[in-house]
Amino acid sequence: MNLTALEPQALEIIKRYDEPRAAMLPLLWLVQTNVGHIPSEAECWVGGLLGVALSHVREVVSFYSMFRTREAGRHELRVCTSLPCMLRGAGDVLAQIEERLHIRPRETTPDGELTLTEVECLCACEIAPAGQLDEQFVGPLDRTTIDAIESDAVAPYTGSARIDEAHPFVSTDGPVISTRFRNTGGTWWDAYIADGGYVAARKALSSMTSSQIVDEVSKANLRGLGGAGFPTGRKWSFIPKASLKPRYLVVNADEGEPGTFKDRYILERDPHALLEGMIIAAYAIGSHKAYVYIRGEYFRPAERFARAVAEAYERGWLGKNIQGRGFDLDVVIHRGAGAYICGEETALLTSIEGGKGFPKLKPPFPAISGLFQCPTIVNNVETLACVPFILREGADRFAALGTPKQGGTRLFSLCGRVNRPGLYEAPVGITLRELIDRHAQGVRRGHTLKAVIPGGISAKVLTAEEIDVAMDFDSLQAAGTMAGSGGVIVMDDSASMIEALQSAAKFFAHESCGQCSPCREGTGWIHRIMRRIARGEGRLHDLDDLLAIARAMEGKTICVFADAAAWPVQSYITKFRAEFEEHITTRRGAETTHVDEARACPP
Amino acid sequence: MPTLTIDGRQIDSPDGSTVIQAAETLGIFIPRYCYHPGLSIAGNCRICLIEVEKNPKLQIACNTPVADGMVVHTSSVKADEGRRAVLEFLLANHPLDCPVCDQSGECDLQNFYMNFGLYDPRFREQKIKKKKAVAVGPHVMLDQERCILCSRCVRFTDEISKTGEFGIFNRGDRAEVGLYPGQQLDNPYSGNVVDICPVGALTDRDFRFKARVWYLSSAPTVCNGCAQGCNVDVHYVLDRPHLNDGARILRVKPRYNADVNQWWMCDEGRYGFGWIDKGRLTKVRRQGAGATWEQAVAGITEELTKVGERDPERGTCLRLGVIASPQLTNEELFLIREIFQRALGARVTASVPMPAGNSDNFLIRADKNPNTHGAALIGLTDATAPDAAAIVAETLEGQLDALWVFGYDLTKLVADEDLQRLSRSLRLFVFSGTNDNPTAGCSHWALPTAAYLEKEGTFVNAHGRVQRIGRAFPPLSDSREDWRVLLEIAGRLNLGFAWRSPEEIFQALARSVTPFAGLTYERIGLHGASLMTDASVAEVAVT
Repeated sequence: MNLTALEPQALEIIKRYDEPRAAMLPLLWLVQTNVGHIPSEAECWVGGLLGVALSHVREVVSFYSMFRTREAGRHELRVCTSLPCMLRGAGDVLAQIEERLHIRPRETTPDGELTLTEVECLCACEIAPAGQLDEQFVGPLDRTTIDAIESDAVAPYTGSARIDEAHPFVSTDGPVISTRFRNTGGTWWDAYIADGGYVAARKALSSMTSSQIVDEVSKANLRGLGGAGFPTGRKWSFIPKASLKPRYLVVNADEGEPGTFKDRYILERDPHALLEGMIIAAYAIGSHKAYVYIRGEYFRPAERFARAVAEAYERGWLGKNIQGRGFDLDVVIHRGAGAYICGEETALLTSIEGGKGFPKLKPPFPAISGLFQCPTIVNNVETLACVPFILREGADRFAALGTPKQGGTRLFSLCGRVNRPGLYEAPVGITLRELIDRHAQGVRRGHTLKAVIPGGISAKVLTAEEIDVAMDFDSLQAAGTMAGSGGVIVMDDSASMIEALQSAAKFFAHESCGQCSPCREGTGWIHRIMRRIARGEGRLHDLDDLLAIARAMEGKTICVFADAAAWPVQSYITKFRAEFEEHITTRRGAETTHVDEARACPP
Repeated sequence: MPTLTIDGRQIDSPDGSTVIQAAETLGIFIPRYCYHPGLSIAGNCRICLIEVEKNPKLQIACNTPVADGMVVHTSSVKADEGRRAVLEFLLANHPLDCPVCDQSGECDLQNFYMNFGLYDPRFREQKIKKKKAVAVGPHVMLDQERCILCSRCVRFTDEISKTGEFGIFNRGDRAEVGLYPGQQLDNPYSGNVVDICPVGALTDRDFRFKARVWYLSSAPTVCNGCAQGCNVDVHYVLDRPHLNDGARILRVKPRYNADVNQWWMCDEGRYGFGWIDKGRLTKVRRQGAGATWEQAVAGITEELTKVGERDPERGTCLRLGVIASPQLTNEELFLIREIFQRALGARVTASVPMPAGNSDNFLIRADKNPNTHGAALIGLTDATAPDAAAIVAETLEGQLDALWVFGYDLTKLVADEDLQRLSRSLRLFVFSGTNDNPTAGCSHWALPTAAYLEKEGTFVNAHGRVQRIGRAFPPLSDSREDWRVLLEIAGRLNLGFAWRSPEEIFQALARSVTPFAGLTYERIGLHGASLMTDASVAEVAVT
């Protein structure tokens, strides 16, 4: 292995970052892409280049699930077994794949062609049960796709061309974010300009002050669409005016909330909308450097966004003295490597800084001391993609689309047991019932709706009787759940709440960063109890224990991951207790087989 | 300075300080695992949860900055509940192998369970298996199952030793502390990670299984390994000779001193105590045969009275040389000066050749003597004084008739035959010291003296700080403190000293040697005191 040959590239990468250590993830990716895995000497090489102790390089390599220290097959098939995929048969699919390929997850076919990996949510829930063959999403995984994968794996696999791309339903009618989603191959420079692109950014740079922009965004009632719903304009105003330190705009494109796949479509189909929003935001907060953190599994979205960035540099919309207005902005695309927690804004910053994705202690808050201890604003992709519309069409128009406290539309990801999973743009005040019945065309014939998770797996579940609720942040909060990332996971009467909770518990146990003791131990504990119950070895007392553990985890950790892990437990058991009790007393589940969970929770 | 209320008591606490610190000044102890005052804040263990009024969530005391008007409850029902919950999580995967764990008795999982836990355990699942009893370096043993992942050791090797060995690998409940495969925890400060590990995950290979900690007694002293003078506690057992092959000292632990060593000490000092229980001189010897202290003192004094008198045979005055040692206390060096140099006119030095040892810019000094600075202040190493080599040379040339060597082994300076010759030619050759060596073997009188832990006294460290060494336990067997021997001889010589203890000797020293002016044992206390600098001496003179 010739690492020296990679050195020029490595040095080029290091230069992009404000601190050498921040080049940790890209350098590890560089090694893995070229070598196939990250051998020990590469860890030494990276540590040496960055001045980081070997133990800390290993910490990072072991933290992110996409990095591997041992050789794998020439290709990797990742099969998702998170809740949205489970609801569409991922368990059976994985069993079929194992049977056909004669390998178990984490094993490689004898010819060294294909490594099978079981993964948590790939955020391709619209094509569930989903998988990813190397860089390409595949799904729904059915007999045909598995056939294709199998024949390819047996006769050396030559590329991803043989597997057709699925075409789930995707809104293209806007009015705000999805208007250019009909360009399935991406909206590139000319098309974007022809559609009013960069008008808003030009307006901001040529005729607006920073505070005018903040006011406009505040007036539009734009809320953070990553999940927290914090007013965007107010967030921007937290940047200390007097600070002499550099300021950073960080884009959270680490989409990972099970049931959500909206940011991927923006990155792939309308990347300039994000970029234009970034330019406006950066100008408003006085930042000259923006980092875009794109999750590791999003290969094509990252490529497409990179293309948009290159176009913008060429056209003078990035770099020095943008459009002659004296404003500079550079953009660095940073790739994750498989860790849900990096979607938490401070974990995302630690991850950019070259560490494990550990959320940071607050105070200080990122607006005061964030990336590299400098004032930092972290915004979600969709949030920023709304900004050009607001400046172009006016804050009032955006605000009018929504509720009095939340303006605009948002992209709702609908998945699970609905007839038409897909991505729907709708005003934020739409009801959950309308989304499910009208947009996603309801649950399958012969079945009735049982339960809905309205805002990604972390949100508390709603029963079929509770879906006449508007989808804005405040209404859902009042209904005892949350709008979160807009990922709607639908369960019909054939879904088992025990399996659903077990799947959620598996997800949280796998994704806890392990920093705070209540979360690290609690998620694993809950998962082990749930696994036992699912196997038919539950005790009635387990339900009270689960509720007590969930309560003990709540509100005691650095970030809200532990709370998010607790909420499903509380809501599923409280709202469906009879089903849980019946499952336990009849010892159901003893005969069914479950997917291998050793990965999430070793015996 | 913000004023806050903690458990109903008001306190002013400096800006930027945290609730855990403010509580500590009030004497309110908030439990902690990851928090360590010498390390950065990690905030991961969550055991220090407190209730802050007007805040719906419990906060961690270690990272909550004090604020004016803040009202804190450290043991409200809510805070207690939160803490109990955290403890239950920490113990969920803990192996509970206390009966075979060396940390038992000084384990904060045990302590906090007794103080803040006392819940009925609910964990019924299979515990996660990790590696046990892994020797990660020459001094430290790792048990991953007992680890609560507080990251103190990781922060220590990052921030204090700056060697970066430790890491926490993997995530979730698979996370485990460890070293990069193939690496060793082999830095000069590795033993500190054992001290700061709040549980039994990192234990001391040297101390492991030698004694249960509740059998240990502790005494404060100062490390004699180099001129830094790190404050330490020595842990020993006197009444259980079946433990540890009868050796009294079990281990040495750093003792906090903000000005000297903070919370730390080096491995060389920590593990360098073996000589105190092994290879000691235990009996007075005269020409290799057993003798008593009374005989020795009488015999030696008899010879010493002749010093300065004319030798009728040779027609010259009898002359004495003394090789003192920067291992001796100030009190002893002062007595040596008063008796030998001033009263008997002897050639006296405390300059003994010692190859410069390893050093760094943290705690390890190249000067491996604890009291070089003190010896210099007392005037036994200044430019006018001869050094040990000169005194030995003078002896070999026949210019000295009597020689007293304190602890030093002359074979480091001269060949064995020369030592033999020297022994034969001298009228009086006394060796006093703690451990046997060839010089003791050749001396006319070999006097067993007390190790520094066995006597009272003071050292002055490289930074001019005078510190008391204390007396952990009595001198071994027949050995006696050097100061006691010297005082007895002074008495026989009728020098008229009224001092009966090191403290009284120190008072005389403080009156006589300017930099010590105004100091007393009480003022030096447990943490030492800075000597007078030239500037402060001038100030005293003016007033």
